[in-house]
Amino acid sequence: MPIVSQNSSHLEATVEFADNPEPRCPCVLLLDTSWSMKGEPIDALNQGLQVFRDDVCKDALASRRVEVAVITFDTDITLVQDFVTADQFQAPILTAQGTTHMGSGILTALDMIQARKAQYKAAGVLYYRPWVFMITDGEPQGEAEDVVRTATQRIREDEEAKRVAFFAVGVENANMTRLSQIVFRSPVKLLGLNFVEMFVWLSRSAQAVTHSRTDEQVALPPPGWGTV
Amino acid sequence: MSAPGRIAPAPPPTWRVAAASVRGASHERLSLPCQDAHQWALLPDSFLVAAVADGAGSALLAEIGAAVAVSATIEAARRRFTQLKLPNLKDDSAWHELLKELLSGAREAVEQEANSRALPARDLACTLSLVIATTDFAASIQVGDGAVLVATPQGEMTLVNRPVQGECLNETIFLTSPEALEHAQTGLWRGHLGHVAVFSDGLQMAALRMPAAEPHPGFFTPLFQFVGGQAEGPEAHEALANFLTSPRLRDRTDDDVTLLLAALLP
Repeated sequence: MPIVSQNSSHLEATVEFADNPEPRCPCVLLLDTSWSMKGEPIDALNQGLQVFRDDVCKDALASRRVEVAVITFDTDITLVQDFVTADQFQAPILTAQGTTHMGSGILTALDMIQARKAQYKAAGVLYYRPWVFMITDGEPQGEAEDVVRTATQRIREDEEAKRVAFFAVGVENANMTRLSQIVFRSPVKLLGLNFVEMFVWLSRSAQAVTHSRTDEQVALPPPGWGTV
Repeated sequence: MSAPGRIAPAPPPTWRVAAASVRGASHERLSLPCQDAHQWALLPDSFLVAAVADGAGSALLAEIGAAVAVSATIEAARRRFTQLKLPNLKDDSAWHELLKELLSGAREAVEQEANSRALPARDLACTLSLVIATTDFAASIQVGDGAVLVATPQGEMTLVNRPVQGECLNETIFLTSPEALEHAQTGLWRGHLGHVAVFSDGLQMAALRMPAAEPHPGFFTPLFQFVGGQAEGPEAHEALANFLTSPRLRDRTDDDVTLLLAALLP
């Protein structure tokens, strides 16, 4: 009907949109690069990161809204990639060395999220609940027990205040019992070195978050790549 | 034709409404239905009652919850208008009470629907925005995000209800949440009313300047002209639906979108 198309094309031409910055969904990948990850595990992880990047970028809106940062922990805590939107993210090539300073890594990730949120607030950018996604094949090692205790406490506080959703994935010989004492949500055990499937799932979940709301916790489809 | 010396009473002002709920691109990708719903009724004394509900993406039967919430609200309002005298327009507390009564009725209807399906109420989670408006008055109640806007014929715009959300964008309160009634926001407005808009959160980033949630006049002015103009009935709804699914808007949001526009014709 000509009248209808005239009306709607008239609306399309005249209605102006508010110029708001894109809302953001910050996502920290907190990755264990201790020596035991050497060889096949670290190669599989590197490949998974590439898949993650490619998959998020398939979704135009998510690629502008999901912000990725990468922190590795071994004997050192390294900020490999500061927050960038997924469309700007280049997957790093990680190498494995040293012990497992997991507690320090956790605290660094939570600090980074807090700082990022302050930047969003200052810039008037709205945001979705931030995520930390930790992957490890071991347990805290080589750092003071105090640091691990503080990190455990921080995760609990930040989860209860809904400041963050902290996910942990154990690989191969990861100490799942210890991991479940540290994180608030049940950690997931990766089946084999199925990083590719895990990162596709993570990407889809991040896309889903930027498209919907939840009242309780981040609603995620059940993973097919691991066991709880 | 009136006889000389006698003036025929002017007909009461009437509302013209255009409304559409459309499925977002993300819902298409995930094979989810449109989980927004809207309904309105024109009642005596130039009263408009309009409701918009936005089903939670994470809820199993959100579209049922949204549909039940709006139809129960409009039906309850209709009954209330025909069976009982309305509160005096100056009586704030009586209006707040009436609004809460309608909201809690909607909540009970959704809970009953969930019960009849042997599901928890949260599987039918949705937000709800309700507005009751006449020539010089508007009353609104809302739980969750979405917004209700009124404008004078001169184009002065006020949000009588704004998005209610937590610190993070994807967290809101739903009609089925335990704290829904306690967190519901009511708003009363008095002035010379020209237009009303009710919309779901899918439109928020295009229609409001965030984070302050200020109405963006460039967005609403052409839409109000449209609803007050020639377009009427199914054609107007379809034109609005076409606009809401236009590529320009789809580049801004891939959520379901509902927009209900009303113009008071003198």
